[in-house]
Amino acid sequence: MNIQRLPLRRRSFLQGSAALFGASALPSRLMAQNGGPITLWTPGGSELMCEIHIDIVNEVVALGGQVTNGDVVCGFGPGQDYTQRLFGAIAAGQVPDVSILWDSPVSLGVQGAFIPLDEYMQQFPGLAVENWPGGLLASCQFQGRTYGLPVVAGVYSMWYNPEMFEERGISSAREDFPKTWDELRRISKEFTRWDGDTLLTGGFVPPRSAPTLPIWAALNGGRIFNADEARYEIDSEQNNEMFNFWVEWMDEEYRGDLNLVDRSANFSSGYVNYDLGTGSGFREGRAAVVHDGSWLMGDYWQEPEPTFLNWDLAAHPVGPSGTATVSGIWPNWAVIPVGARNPEGAAAYLDYLSTVGVVDWYRQIPDVPTNTLVEAEPPTVVVEQRGEDFARDVTEFLQEQAGIVTPMWHSPVEAFAQDQLTLAIQKIFTKTAPIAEALADAQSASQAELERVLRQ
Amino acid sequence: MTVAPGKRRRSSRYETTAAWLFVAPWVVKLVLLTVLPLIATVALGFMTMPVTGMPRWAGLANYEQMMADPAFRRSAQNSLTFALASVPLRLLIALGLALLLHRTRAFSGFYQTIFYLPFLMPAVAASIVFILLLTPGAGPVNVILQTFGLNPPDWLRDPRAALWTLVLISLWPLGVETLVFLSGLQNIPKDVQEAAELDSDRPWHRLVWITIPLITPMILFNLVIGIISSFQIFTQALVIGGPSGQPAESTLMYMVVIYRTAFRYFNLGYAAALSTVLFLGVLVVTLLIFSTARSWVHYEGGDQR
Repeated sequence: MNIQRLPLRRRSFLQGSAALFGASALPSRLMAQNGGPITLWTPGGSELMCEIHIDIVNEVVALGGQVTNGDVVCGFGPGQDYTQRLFGAIAAGQVPDVSILWDSPVSLGVQGAFIPLDEYMQQFPGLAVENWPGGLLASCQFQGRTYGLPVVAGVYSMWYNPEMFEERGISSAREDFPKTWDELRRISKEFTRWDGDTLLTGGFVPPRSAPTLPIWAALNGGRIFNADEARYEIDSEQNNEMFNFWVEWMDEEYRGDLNLVDRSANFSSGYVNYDLGTGSGFREGRAAVVHDGSWLMGDYWQEPEPTFLNWDLAAHPVGPSGTATVSGIWPNWAVIPVGARNPEGAAAYLDYLSTVGVVDWYRQIPDVPTNTLVEAEPPTVVVEQRGEDFARDVTEFLQEQAGIVTPMWHSPVEAFAQDQLTLAIQKIFTKTAPIAEALADAQSASQAELERVLRQ
Repeated sequence: MTVAPGKRRRSSRYETTAAWLFVAPWVVKLVLLTVLPLIATVALGFMTMPVTGMPRWAGLANYEQMMADPAFRRSAQNSLTFALASVPLRLLIALGLALLLHRTRAFSGFYQTIFYLPFLMPAVAASIVFILLLTPGAGPVNVILQTFGLNPPDWLRDPRAALWTLVLISLWPLGVETLVFLSGLQNIPKDVQEAAELDSDRPWHRLVWITIPLITPMILFNLVIGIISSFQIFTQALVIGGPSGQPAESTLMYMVVIYRTAFRYFNLGYAAALSTVLFLGVLVVTLLIFSTARSWVHYEGGDQR
């Protein structure tokens, strides 16, 4: 092998180093004057999800605009915390141009980690404010700044088993699904059968998940976080009433013992609970109603095979103090981190992704497109399993639900507050603390943390 | 042959230079990867640090926050309880295993390998295996206990049991401690052992009065390492209890609080202050142990250091 030796002098080495340092310190906007490549990071997902993102990036490159080339990084493998990687990349200035975020964009956004997108929303017609449902956009905003775009969302709704309803002489039509918590509690009892300490079949088990709590609070006329006044309202009268309602329900129908319920099957979602080694009560035909997200449509027919096929979706029932139904989401947002080398290209990419790219995304993986300009094509898996009409019907239903999403995931201390709520929920359902005390503790801790962050 | 004084001095200088060159990589690593991060952590504890931008001086604000933080108190209490329970148990069981291995003539290498293997298993994988083993209802542990008519606890979901379950799980990878004890036992001089056998025919007496005193340096080593690692328990606690230390903060360990403060709540200054307190706490405990070591650690030849 012939290696050519280049003379390296001290002066030329120092000059080269200075040039390299200077280039790396150039403002990113200068370097992106005439467009350029973009890098997209996603938190992971299946191989299919990665292929979808690569295809969309290639389509944007083919348009020949501000994106000349694209690179997609699909997660960092098992054991790697995505947020931690993104956080480190932002701190080190080695960021992607666009990142998909399965978390609140506000928490890192208020710390200056993401570029506010409001300017780009005026510049790109597809990203205009009026094209996004208010509740969804509010979930990415804080104090007048938009830190992310809700390009697609996992939309929550009530999943029910029409066959179980009909077996008990209850109408299985979507429009007849219980409209209030009282009605839901009344019909739930019809399904609940115990064999010793095993819950054979159940109706609906009161929810216990902190991330979805804002939905239930809104259904009861309350809220968890008031973004306008930068104030937590965890211990409000409505939320106390909500937990009292649920605990009474648990006592009456489920012996007040969540562990007995959880050991019998996962009665809270359409998925296997690997921690407890229990199957999904819903897919096994043992739970009449569960609260779950639209992503379950894509996973429903996978292993373990469900015992019934004809599930349906319904709107959330309203609590005793509530007035109207609302929906909620698990975020699947897109952000542009500070330090992105091609932010204009990233915004152009988001414009395409939000209005065109998501059509193919939803067809292959049912994360619901939220931009009102999008005419969604139904997910292939649902068309194959349930037919075109049903697939179009649920798509329309889920897009309607996306239009009535209550603002959530929009606190600057979202993760902190969710941990406090998780603790409060555990205390309440294991009865290790009175409801009012558990909620008051979560309230004071979350409010103190919020004030600390806002003071910085 | 006599060497001229000048030559001797030069030779000594060369040796000193060579010694420094040999230790230089380690010193550089120590300074860059240990000392400087340590100083930076202590300094950051007095600052607030946004994700982007420069840190700002915050004085004692992070330490004041700590005093009012229930998660700090709870996690410190949990970590202390964990250390107090797990370290003595680990030492006792590892010593028992080492004594058994010391007596085993056949397949001793095989057994040593078997005992060491758990140490090589990633903590995440091991934690998941234990979650599956201890699953209420269908988990093998509960199934076995139930066949004997016992009523097993809900190991990982009952707030009264979860911390003790973590202690039990921590007893699994004992390979390092066992091998350290074994090396100590193998180094006890034969003549001492023979003399002890002549003096007493009771094995228990020989263990307490001869064997244990002669392996006190190994006990000291395992004790110090055990205390440091037990205060730093992280992976198992995070996998089993999540960032909020479920159930009801019963598995919330100090390291988990540091991790979630830095990478979940993005409060780097406070996380640095928490890390500084942990460092000082472990340092004080370690110094206390070393200060008492003079009275109970015996080195070969009677020289107590």
